Amino acid sequence: MSRLQIITKGILKENPTFVLILGMCPTLGVTSSAINGMGMGIATMAVLILSNIVISMIKNFIPDKVRIPAFIVVIASFVTIIEMLMQAYVPSLYASLGVFIPLIVVNCIILGRAEAFASKNGVFDSALDGLGIGLGFTLSLTIVGMVREALGAGSIFGFSFAEGVMPLLFILAPGGFLVLGYLMVLFNKIAKR
Amino acid sequence: MKSSLKNMVLVLFTITAIAALLVGLVNDMTKEAIAQSRLDAKNAAKFSVLSTTATEASVARDTTRTIGDFAVTVSTVVRNDDGSTVGYAVEAPSITKSGYADRIILMVGFIEKEGEAIINNIEVLSQKETPGLGANMTKEGNSLISSVAGKQAKILKFSVAKEGGSFDALTGSTISSRAYANAVETAYAGYLWATGRLDMSSEAVAAAPTGASMPTDESNEWEPEAQEGDMTNE
Repeated sequence: MSRLQIITKGILKENPTFVLILGMCPTLGVTSSAINGMGMGIATMAVLILSNIVISMIKNFIPDKVRIPAFIVVIASFVTIIEMLMQAYVPSLYASLGVFIPLIVVNCIILGRAEAFASKNGVFDSALDGLGIGLGFTLSLTIVGMVREALGAGSIFGFSFAEGVMPLLFILAPGGFLVLGYLMVLFNKIAKR
Repeated sequence: MKSSLKNMVLVLFTITAIAALLVGLVNDMTKEAIAQSRLDAKNAAKFSVLSTTATEASVARDTTRTIGDFAVTVSTVVRNDDGSTVGYAVEAPSITKSGYADRIILMVGFIEKEGEAIINNIEVLSQKETPGLGANMTKEGNSLISSVAGKQAKILKFSVAKEGGSFDALTGSTISSRAYANAVETAYAGYLWATGRLDMSSEAVAAAPTGASMPTDESNEWEPEAQEGDMTNE
């Protein structure tokens, strides 16, 4: 697999949201607006790249049977450290992305990629895989968020085009499932061609 | 790597020990900076809710009152050039009503005009409401702020519009909006107390119902005695 393919497969063939169906909990939770979806995606991408790098570096020292607990400890410490550093030194960034950080600890995309890719591949390829999957996740979440925000609040990225007439359902959880389901169908139909 | 009891225990122990050490170290390193950045944000809000800046004005006095676990802090902000009072920035939590996830802490700016307190602006210091719904209370010019800003605090009814209150609730977020209204009410009570218009002596507080010594939504009376039997659980 070429290096470029490692990146592009994360966006199309192995899109985490629409194809691998990973990370559904944060997907449904934060995509009530486009900007929230994008924020979550970017925060996840940052953690994913770093955790993939670390896991691929230490993979040879970890006995097979305890690899999952070891990965979880590594990822959770990573996220906690990033959260504290961000809160202390870039409070403005923390104000906009901070709510998403704790959600990343339990994000199965991170653990899934650690298990499926980083524990079998080299450091550089693992970083690229993190980038690709991260981009795919960011893109999907932004699209889901855009559709939900447009249908439910009548605005896109906070720019309003319709006031007060939109069905609030799409911002709430049931609308999240509906939008996600239909987008999944659409995505797979287009991607299959 | 092949697993054996020895290497599993050893590796897991090493990883957790390193992780714990790193997290502890970073926590130690960032503790002060985090506290400082929170304090900075709070101090900036004291001026912005009164439509002034830290260069134009300064805090003359902070008075804090703790009620149970809650603290209400009233900061008197004065102009630097002539020493006149700009207004009062009150930091207050929602007491009788919590938001969806946690209590909401607001900074409310009161400006006195002809002896009457007018709500100038409100900023959210802390909230954990749903993004896209209740969390919209942090946005500037949301319906909660615009329904009360510039109005006299004493004519306000501290509940949402559909319950006869003065606050236009955020779409789909009645619970968050109620907590918000409650926090503004707490702030107003704190302002009245700091300016000496509310009897909050320890006897009066002791006589008030437990849980809160602020009036509930249903009562617009400020004498603590009037609250007896007025506490409702919703």
